[in-house]
Amino acid sequence: MKLVMKFGGTSVGSGINIRRVAGLVTEYAKDNKIVVVVSALAGVTNSLIETSYHAQKSDEKHIQTFTANLLTKHTDAIKEAITSKAIQKEVIDITVKSIAELEKILTGICYISELTPKSKDYVMSFGERLSAPIVWGAIKDHNVQAQWFTGKDAGIVTDSNFGDADPLMNYTSHLVRERLSPLLEKGIIPIVTGFIAANQDGIVTTVGRGGSDYTSTILGVALQADEVWIWTDVDGIMTTDPKIVPSAKMLPQLSYQEATEMAIFGAKAMHPRALGPVSKANIPVRIRNTANPKNHGTLITKEPQSGVTEAAKAVAIIKDVAMLNVYGAAMVGAPGSYAKVFEVLGRNGINVMMISAAASEANISLIIKRDLLGRAISSLEIALQEHGGIISEVTTEDDVAVIAIIGANMKGTLGVASKIFSTVAKKGINIHMIAQGSSELNISFVVKEKDGVAVVQTIHEEFNLDKI
Amino acid sequence: MRIILIGYGVVGKGVTTILSQKYVEKVRDCGFNPKIVAISDIDGAVINSQGLSPEKLETIKHRGYPISADPEFGNPGLKAIEVIESVEAEVVVEVTPVNIQTAEPAISHIIKAFKTGKHVVTTNKGPLALAMPALTELADYNNVYLRFSGTVGGGTPMLEFAKQCLAGDRIRAIRGIFNGTTNYILTEMGQNQVSFQEALTNAQKLGYAEREPSMDIDGFDTACKVVILSNWIMGRKITLKDVDRIGIRDITLQTLEEAAKRGNTIKLIGSIDNNKPSVKPIEIAKTHPLCVSGVLNAVTFTTEYAGEQTLVGRGAGSIETAGAVLRDLLDIRHKLANRMLNINSESYK
Repeated sequence: MKLVMKFGGTSVGSGINIRRVAGLVTEYAKDNKIVVVVSALAGVTNSLIETSYHAQKSDEKHIQTFTANLLTKHTDAIKEAITSKAIQKEVIDITVKSIAELEKILTGICYISELTPKSKDYVMSFGERLSAPIVWGAIKDHNVQAQWFTGKDAGIVTDSNFGDADPLMNYTSHLVRERLSPLLEKGIIPIVTGFIAANQDGIVTTVGRGGSDYTSTILGVALQADEVWIWTDVDGIMTTDPKIVPSAKMLPQLSYQEATEMAIFGAKAMHPRALGPVSKANIPVRIRNTANPKNHGTLITKEPQSGVTEAAKAVAIIKDVAMLNVYGAAMVGAPGSYAKVFEVLGRNGINVMMISAAASEANISLIIKRDLLGRAISSLEIALQEHGGIISEVTTEDDVAVIAIIGANMKGTLGVASKIFSTVAKKGINIHMIAQGSSELNISFVVKEKDGVAVVQTIHEEFNLDKI
Repeated sequence: MRIILIGYGVVGKGVTTILSQKYVEKVRDCGFNPKIVAISDIDGAVINSQGLSPEKLETIKHRGYPISADPEFGNPGLKAIEVIESVEAEVVVEVTPVNIQTAEPAISHIIKAFKTGKHVVTTNKGPLALAMPALTELADYNNVYLRFSGTVGGGTPMLEFAKQCLAGDRIRAIRGIFNGTTNYILTEMGQNQVSFQEALTNAQKLGYAEREPSMDIDGFDTACKVVILSNWIMGRKITLKDVDRIGIRDITLQTLEEAAKRGNTIKLIGSIDNNKPSVKPIEIAKTHPLCVSGVLNAVTFTTEYAGEQTLVGRGAGSIETAGAVLRDLLDIRHKLANRMLNINSESYK
């Protein structure tokens, strides 16, 4: 099989973990053609961003301390991950050189006190530029041939939307095939930095949301891989958070659509953006655990699992949210009035997570992140309430949580909603807001946060998710 | 319209001839005023940002290789890539020799033109055969046009016919004879009972076939055209390696005679049927409209509403291909004029 394997920050978090990764890769490489995609060492990307802000504030001292620490962190990992002294030295040389380059850039930012999205991408790219050579060295340590590439050198070309770039997929496919396919044919393992790419003029970009997962699905499509494996620190995608329901099960198979809905599970799931390329090309993705490679993980593919009839597959709770109720008789029958509400929120950087509006049009309920509540109320009041605007009142509830129930079989199954709501009602819990996406794969509702855990538990039980 | 010409072989010379004519006729042809501002060949370039006059173009043609020896405008040693990068122009016409192994240097020329905001007209099948999805994407991204009518059917407007005249109809299948050399060989064998080898030698003598004939007789040339039709007309992103390909080396007089007994003959047919791109010798009825002889090309589009539509005409040839370049230039000029006048439209740049 031709496989793209991505290893996340925790999987390459320490020298010992990198050794384990190299062991896994070389083992699978015996019978498969493998492309490896690596993230930065855990915590490094964030520290790079933080340091670039320090640099912007002309804090030159911080830069030296930071680069010295960065060098120690990576040198330690190199010494743990690689046994051959010669390879160690080779990788340390690359690391020293890269860090020297990074220091120059940070100093440059420091002098002009300006951090553009372009220079920020360049700084961030060093996380992966430092981790990939270590994985490369650890694989060579097993006497297996490998070669490391930046995303740019591998042929990933994006638009110039720095910080959140999208690939020019056809051009990328052309270049990636030209550069990596010959290596695969010769049994050489290409190791590619995740997250980073370049625009058509060769300027470094980052793919932003979706990160290294996105890089791996881009490469999977470009190389027409059989599967893309996302190695992480969990067994797969679960029916719910096992901390809430200890009997939560791992889901063996999900459709691309279901997996997209599950983005609300946060870091333990895949970003929908990363699923974009593979769902178009119909290439399956598998989520696997580096610490438990015997487990086959969750397979994300075109079809939902056959033979499963339960309407729901997973239930999630989203905390730290707040509900915003916007009232206004002037909104009734007035075209564009909802648009005004959303425009004000959007302009003020407030993402709306959930919406519900009745046909009466006199009020609309929204869910947003709790820490943005103050800004949201203020912006709406200033823009739309004072001076005779369309809004008459804004009320809030900041002690709520969203419960989301997901499953492809919900579509067309009668009585799912009534089953959910009667289950919740039996517990004596009140529902404050309801929404169902047009995909019909997801029903979300809002309860008081103190009731959230009980709701998740009772739904998990009612839909037999522990027996899936 | 300012034009950079990359490649000064048979087609390149044909382009300068036709454009000189248009340059002279510009008043009558209201508004199309093609100016060749640079010509680039292996030895260097001739550059005049005001446009090379028809007399100058004539002198250059007479002087021949090396073109950069021109005392007034010659730039010996200047590379095509540098010309594209540094000379101001609206369009790059790329007519360097075909290379189906790497598509170089044409593909680099085209990409450089896109990145510097220049439209491209090419007659070169190499880049399209190996990287058509990538190139069309890159042209869109840079908001420029890529045109290539000369690559399929030469002077016969097969691509425009399908794209424009059959717009809205669903094209179910495309079948055609896209290579004049092999069609000449098969016609000779069938009509004059000469062997494959003899027919090939005749074709080489007449200048129809190259000394190294594999590109034609092994079906590579036809396969390139199938790739272009598939991407441009059928919207299927394929490249050369996706085409099933059999050439005509193994066609014997005997096979042709047996086909003749059934009122048929054998033609090298490039086709896209059921989304399967292929090139192979196929037996067809002598009465079928596709069954053209000699170096002619023909194509049949099977469509949902209009039924079968067949187009017959001369394929490659320097002046025919140069004519196709002119059509592409006019198409781009027309689109640019709309774009420049309609300043509110989003595509305006």
